[in-house]
Amino acid sequence: MDVALKIWRYDPESGQRELKRYEVEAPEWACLLDVLDLVKDKVDGTLAYRKSCRMMICGSCGMRMDGRAVLACKERMKPIVDRGHVPTISAMGNMPILKDLVVDMGPFWSKIRAMKPWLEPGYEEYPEKESRISPAAMQPIQKEALCIMCGCCVSECQSMESDPEFFGPAALAKGFRFVGDPRDKANVERLEAYNDEHGIWDCTRCYFCNERCPKGVDPRDAIAKLGAESVKEGIDRDMGAKHAKWFVHSAKTTGWLRETELVPKTQGVVRALKDYKLAISLAKHGKVPPPFPPHVAKDQKEARALRELVSAQGRDGAAGIVQGEKGLAHAVHAGEEELERRKEIRP
Amino acid sequence: MEAKHDVLVVGAGCAGMRAAIEAFDAGADVALISKIHPVRSHSGAAEGGINAALGNASDDNPEKHAFDTVKGSDYLGDQDAIEVLCDEAPGDVYELEHWGCVFSRTPDGRIAQRPFGAAGEPRTAYAADITGHVLVHVLYEQVMKRDIRTYEEYFAWKLVESDGRCQGVICWDILNGGLKTIGAKTVILATGGAGRLYTGTTNAYSCTGDGMAMALRVGVPLKDMEMMQFHPTTLSPSGVLITEGCRGEGAYLLNADGERFLERYAPNAMELASRDVISRAEQTEIDEGRGIDGDVLLDLRHLGAERILEALHGTRELSMTFAGVDPIQDPIPVRPGAHYHMGGVDTDLWGKTTLDGLYAAGECACVSAHGANRLGGNALMETITYGRRAGQAAAEWALSHTTVAVPESTVSDAERDLAALLGREEGERPWAIRDEMAQTMHENFGVFRREHQMEAQGKIIGGLRERYEKVVVDDKGMIFNNDVTQALELGFLLELAACMVVAGLARKESRGAHSRPYDYPSRDDESFMKHTMVTWAGGTPKLDWAPVRVTKWEPQERKY
Repeated sequence: MDVALKIWRYDPESGQRELKRYEVEAPEWACLLDVLDLVKDKVDGTLAYRKSCRMMICGSCGMRMDGRAVLACKERMKPIVDRGHVPTISAMGNMPILKDLVVDMGPFWSKIRAMKPWLEPGYEEYPEKESRISPAAMQPIQKEALCIMCGCCVSECQSMESDPEFFGPAALAKGFRFVGDPRDKANVERLEAYNDEHGIWDCTRCYFCNERCPKGVDPRDAIAKLGAESVKEGIDRDMGAKHAKWFVHSAKTTGWLRETELVPKTQGVVRALKDYKLAISLAKHGKVPPPFPPHVAKDQKEARALRELVSAQGRDGAAGIVQGEKGLAHAVHAGEEELERRKEIRP
Repeated sequence: MEAKHDVLVVGAGCAGMRAAIEAFDAGADVALISKIHPVRSHSGAAEGGINAALGNASDDNPEKHAFDTVKGSDYLGDQDAIEVLCDEAPGDVYELEHWGCVFSRTPDGRIAQRPFGAAGEPRTAYAADITGHVLVHVLYEQVMKRDIRTYEEYFAWKLVESDGRCQGVICWDILNGGLKTIGAKTVILATGGAGRLYTGTTNAYSCTGDGMAMALRVGVPLKDMEMMQFHPTTLSPSGVLITEGCRGEGAYLLNADGERFLERYAPNAMELASRDVISRAEQTEIDEGRGIDGDVLLDLRHLGAERILEALHGTRELSMTFAGVDPIQDPIPVRPGAHYHMGGVDTDLWGKTTLDGLYAAGECACVSAHGANRLGGNALMETITYGRRAGQAAAEWALSHTTVAVPESTVSDAERDLAALLGREEGERPWAIRDEMAQTMHENFGVFRREHQMEAQGKIIGGLRERYEKVVVDDKGMIFNNDVTQALELGFLLELAACMVVAGLARKESRGAHSRPYDYPSRDDESFMKHTMVTWAGGTPKLDWAPVRVTKWEPQERKY
């Protein structure tokens, strides 16, 4: 098949940046990476991009196709060619471009290192045999263990766009890989560190990381699990944690979210008062329900029953976080029959 | 010289990182060099598992493991090396577990073990079907914990040999350009395999045999280079690996008639026979017209969706992405593909080569734990056990020696060679040579080997090497110039191909991966129970032989 691509080239030595169009003949089974190889071989040997395994496990070939982060080895070209589309290929976002499609991953790795990403088993001398851990106890970190550190999530992260210091989805998913590991004895210290400025509560929950992760790691879920674990361990100094806690408290007591109380409980009374102008303006536009009489759900029976059901399952902390919709979407894609089968095996 | 270290490890996959960790813990100043970031290493693509006689799934012991390995090697493996591997494997696996490796577990919480090809017991510890991935990441975590210096995206090109010792490595700095010389009292090669010699391969683009070729160029012999393993289940058409774990879990291999054809080749072990046996069976079926477009089928459907999703999730993902087949609903089209080099840099039981200060471990080495055919799950184990041993030995040697000297001339020779390559403006670019090499190696040096085809291949490689002398690279820049590194990689591969052909022609028998059904169909222990040893002399490979070290297992007929 004839494949056409537009590639954002960048030559660091001349500083020149331009969008160039390439056309090559490729086999029908070709992926984006195969097409880039054909361009490099047969058209222009100066094209730079990273690659290695070409089987979605090494994480080298993260880049953007039409503005979305992808692994070049995972993207099949035939459907794109069939609909007559000419995709635009560019380097990943949120990382400095070194040349063409190659970005500087240095800051990415520094953030991974800042997580202290190694097991702290709490002993120096290893026992003679393996630690005994049930399969169920290892289950919570299975998705995080899939991470190949390709950087696709970081490329798309909205919080990092406004705060480059934000730890970011990849590092935090790595963090949860240890917090959720029953063998790790440093989970409280880890949670303390991840609750710092630029930490878990700075995530804006845009879910782009879940959406674009090529491996189904669902980093946003990992961040949510870190949040839940923090609250469970009483680490709630951040506004984000306070906000989440009050949300739960509000629903628990009156079966409804009492938004007017939410602001002072999250920010503290003093800071909330400073925002009085905004509050008045919001109220004028009907954006704030009046605080009195308190908002109470009419029929709380069902909500309470649901809560009791959940607490009976002991799903506090990370165990209470529902896994991302992405896994479900995969199942739907695979057919109704399998969806049913998957329901059976999921708790 | 940019820097110097006690121990310099070239390659940061499982063997390299394990070696670096051990050398660090022994008190040495250690650094890693890798042309790709450590977690990108191809060790991460290993899927099925790692063999150690833990006895968690049956009554197993290291002696049984050793016998299976000796038999699997078709009696070419060095039995002392195999005994070391099998004896030390359980301790090494426990250590990985304590470092945080996410192994799959038995219901009572121990490391789970699954059956694998040619293993008498369920011995393969695993993490679903991403075992290599979790090992690479746990090792990199330990590297970060120790803050071991890592020269990332440094392309190692030449070893510094001076005063009869290896004293460093000359590298091309991929990110910034330019040659950088890193001095070292000891160098450990851990650069992996050379699967890119073939078109159909499970190997990454990075697997270009760099360490083997660098060793060859400083006069170190390569051992058993004809022994390239063809994995029976590589995905059609891309060559991506489909793990042996599928068959360990109970998958069937079917031909076009829907027949489990292994009944005719390995009636007892069936799909769990040795890899060489199954690859030959598949190739025979395909050659005799019972394949489907050059493939056979791997059928997982009877395992059920639940087990596939739990234990073979990655396989399903690969199969759906690269072949458009969901193994829950349809069988996977597979064919034999180049997978693992049993041969490599000749080393002793501590990874030491014939050159002082130079060590090797993992796939690029040949301590000969695998002989003529490697068992699935033994490669990851070898990287860990022999990586550790090489790290320990290199550190000990380095700490008892003090000087590092890199002669000016070594650096200036390298500068001159590189300037010649970058300065050439007119001529052929390397890709056509690379494609012709890989295509012809597949045709003439594949699962079955014929005398005249191997001879023809020798001439083809000779011709390609002449053309290679005059190649040009498009990219003359300094920053991320992988046009130049890919050209250098091709130079490595062509020399290795020449060595393989010479060794293959000399071995006039069929043993393990080296199968000559048309002229020498059986194993000949009297004449050929010995290793081929190839050195480089005057621009051509020179062949010699070395004995196999036998401890307690006399050769027997090999049946599965």
